[in-house]
Amino acid sequence: MNLPAHPSARTAALAIARRDLLEFVRDRRTLVITLLLPMATYPILALSTALGLRTASQEIEARNAPARVRLGLSGPDSDRLAALMERVSEGTPRSDRTGWPADVALADVRGADATALLDEGGIDLWIDARKGLVEDLKAKGTVRLPVRVSAKLPASQAVREQFQAFVAAVGRDVARDRVEAAGLPATLLEPVRVAFEGDQGAAAPPEHNVLSTLAGGVLVLLTVLTLTGAFYPAIDAIAGEKERGTIETLLIAPCRIDDIVFGKFLGVLAITLATLVANVTSIAATAAVSLKYLPRGIVASLPDGTIAASIAATVLAFAGMAALAAATCLAVTTASKSGKEAQNTLTPVILLVSAVAGTALLPGKPGGPLLAAVPYAGQIAVARTALGTGTTPPATSAAIVGVLAVSLASSAILTWILLRLTAHTLTDEDVLFRGPDVAGSPLHRPAPRSRPNGVQAFVPLVAGFAGLWYAQGLVPSDLSLAIPIQQGVAVLVPLALMLWWQRVDLRGTFSWRPPARGGRSAWVLLGAALVGAGLFLLGAAALLAVRSTGISAEARQLSARLVALIQGQPWWLAWTLVAAVPAVCEELLFRGWVLSGLRGRRNSTRRVWAAVGVQAAAFAVFHLLPERMPQTFVLGLVLGGLVVVTHSLLPAIACHLAHNSMPLVVLWLAGDVPDLAAAVEAGTPGGSAGLPGWVVAAAAGAVVAGLAAIAAGIGRITDEPAA
Amino acid sequence: MPPEPTIEAAGLVKHYHAGDGGVVRAVNGVSFTVQAGEMVGLLGANGAGKTTTLRMLATLLKPTAGTARVAGCDVRIDPVGVRQRLGYVSATTGVPDRLSPREIFASFGRLHGIPPAAVPGRVAALLDRLDLGRCADRPAGRLSSGQRQRVSLGRALVHDPPALVLDEPTNALDVVGARDLLVLLGDLRAAGHAILLSTHRLHEIETRCDRFVIVHDGSVVAAGTRDSLVAEWIPGGAGELEDAFFAAIGRQAVVSGGGA
Repeated sequence: MNLPAHPSARTAALAIARRDLLEFVRDRRTLVITLLLPMATYPILALSTALGLRTASQEIEARNAPARVRLGLSGPDSDRLAALMERVSEGTPRSDRTGWPADVALADVRGADATALLDEGGIDLWIDARKGLVEDLKAKGTVRLPVRVSAKLPASQAVREQFQAFVAAVGRDVARDRVEAAGLPATLLEPVRVAFEGDQGAAAPPEHNVLSTLAGGVLVLLTVLTLTGAFYPAIDAIAGEKERGTIETLLIAPCRIDDIVFGKFLGVLAITLATLVANVTSIAATAAVSLKYLPRGIVASLPDGTIAASIAATVLAFAGMAALAAATCLAVTTASKSGKEAQNTLTPVILLVSAVAGTALLPGKPGGPLLAAVPYAGQIAVARTALGTGTTPPATSAAIVGVLAVSLASSAILTWILLRLTAHTLTDEDVLFRGPDVAGSPLHRPAPRSRPNGVQAFVPLVAGFAGLWYAQGLVPSDLSLAIPIQQGVAVLVPLALMLWWQRVDLRGTFSWRPPARGGRSAWVLLGAALVGAGLFLLGAAALLAVRSTGISAEARQLSARLVALIQGQPWWLAWTLVAAVPAVCEELLFRGWVLSGLRGRRNSTRRVWAAVGVQAAAFAVFHLLPERMPQTFVLGLVLGGLVVVTHSLLPAIACHLAHNSMPLVVLWLAGDVPDLAAAVEAGTPGGSAGLPGWVVAAAAGAVVAGLAAIAAGIGRITDEPAA
Repeated sequence: MPPEPTIEAAGLVKHYHAGDGGVVRAVNGVSFTVQAGEMVGLLGANGAGKTTTLRMLATLLKPTAGTARVAGCDVRIDPVGVRQRLGYVSATTGVPDRLSPREIFASFGRLHGIPPAAVPGRVAALLDRLDLGRCADRPAGRLSSGQRQRVSLGRALVHDPPALVLDEPTNALDVVGARDLLVLLGDLRAAGHAILLSTHRLHEIETRCDRFVIVHDGSVVAAGTRDSLVAEWIPGGAGELEDAFFAAIGRQAVVSGGGA
């Protein structure tokens, strides 16, 4: 029994990757998804698009092609009308005949025969010129000119449109006669004439939009197919191993769990990259063929010399996405114990990612480091930056390298986090050796428990978001009604339902106890209130300093409505609506239910502070307006920290209450400012772009003093709950 | 001074958190040893704590308290060292359906750090020893249950570990397959491997194991050789291992003509 040496991390990871790859390539599903799907998708897409464009283009061409109009004229004034038309037809230069038919053949017909001629196709249109028609044209009014078409053989749309253009020219001729008869200059009819000056050759062809729209769609499709390339290998890699009972054989291999996960990742990544290569090859080959079928002028080519760089940047960004896709699929499916369960878990994620990818196609500039850092949308943004869009030309090399670096760094960091999560989940004993799913009724009420778990922590949040979304059309615009309804729908109802369903221990879940012993509680609550008040002012100062000119219309409208509410209602009602109700409801949900569930039973320091961060992020997102998110995130961190340090929800409520009371205090101090709500909505309250320095200093001092008061209040009992 | 045991469990404890917030005490202070060249049977009813104990030995579960050592390596301090010295097979352990026995052995050989040049020779020797030569290149999904279990055993033996832990390895096998596997284990014992084997099919191992450890409700209730267990637990000192087992776990055996 001569034991071999420990395998190195690289050896172990490569051995696992090699073994997994062998299995993947022998799975028909993998081959179909990886190779056949891309090879079939793009030609079908290209063919249908090219045929559609071609048909549309032919229709446009057919409509624009000059037609021959056979016009039958009858009636007492037919000769005079014919003479007028012939004069216009012969006297108009070819350059002014835009939209005209190729020829207007005039035929003298009898009124009794005209209908039959129309129905047989002998003429396209028929005008029965009444007596005095042409004479009326010389007067000042508008003459009605009835043109008959056949009910059985109606003239084509092109004939009608082109005849209208011809009659419009007749009209202009008549107008000139009228102006001349009135002794007025002919320039009366042409008050202005456009003259483009300068170099007109640089204007982008309007058809460019068609190709950029197509390219955007192809990039989203490429994202989805890259993700589906990781789909089956990732399911097979861990959930499949669990289903086959082979995962234990890997977990008892003499290597670290990180090496096992990395080996799995390499295997999935190899297949995902193969999918990406197959996709890119198929796109290139399809494009080379299908561009021939697109109508001429519809394709705008990239400037010379940028094609290789643009494609290289796109492929590199998508290689980063392939890594992210492999890690995402592994992380999502690791907790599953069978392929079926993993598919059920992963499918909604793919749909969600498709939606995220689609955001990269929203109107606006494609570049920017912020969008480049967004997973699955950033890579598309890099590609659009490199390739250009209908309204934006391809970026410079430096700009492309910049957004590409951000995108790759974002992909690398997220991939690392997801692989750590995979390793953590894979070795979680409760996950690894959990039994079969409970086959009971979905309405089976669980046994009472001490506090919610991590998943249950998010249920009222999701329900609250859904409630907010669906109720927005029903909520009245009057804030005095909207605030209690929104708090009820988004917070209280989901929370109450979860409390009733889960039967958790209320005191433990909501940290419902005094923050300190005896009179010291008052110090803690006072300190928390000072912190809340100071944070509001600091947040407002930061918002004004950073975004004084870029606050969205929605944010300004909301602020204006709040100002109007505070000025228009008794102070106690405004305070209840703006401060008391949100402070109590949101603290119960975020720092009570959510934080308690995320902290879990084990209460390790790292997990507790991770839970504080996650609930703060959820709290920020819950406030919807992007401008407010940084401020609400910081507030959420502080409020969560208060609960962790004091073991009580009450200081968090006091802090939140003071924070939300500050608008009322500020408006009371400002006195009666006329039309303040309108000025806030317009973004010009007092014309000031920031708070005075002494206010900011006072706010910072309030935060420091408040923290000192809390520290003094809780004293030496920081690490144990107050009795 | 007696030689140091190859496998040693010392006061192993494992508690789980139940879904309702309670605690399940699966293993409560289990201790035993297995020497090199010895085959020990770990006996117990379903839910007695056998699998949890073996999973702690294999480092798949972390002990709540106590510890275990495999060839001198502590499961808490050096889990990678334990895995290097242990072969583990369970009734639920499967084999990759799309790989052949040769590929499975080779991949695990590399994973255990066997030099690439030595892998083919080691694999060939294992295929020969486990009588898998004729199906060496056939996908494992097309093998019989007995062949698959031998592949599973070969996977655990690829690095020639001094300790072998098997959790109900004969469960999915017919009589012939079970007998072949036990004969093979006997050969491994003779070659100096320390083997710990859990099962509830007592008749299969009654005469093959050197000693037995009986666990019940997470604790060791009896341990010793077949004869010593019979002598200790059956009045009169004569009977079957099964009778001693039932007596040790506090239940009377159902025998023909007798009542429950």
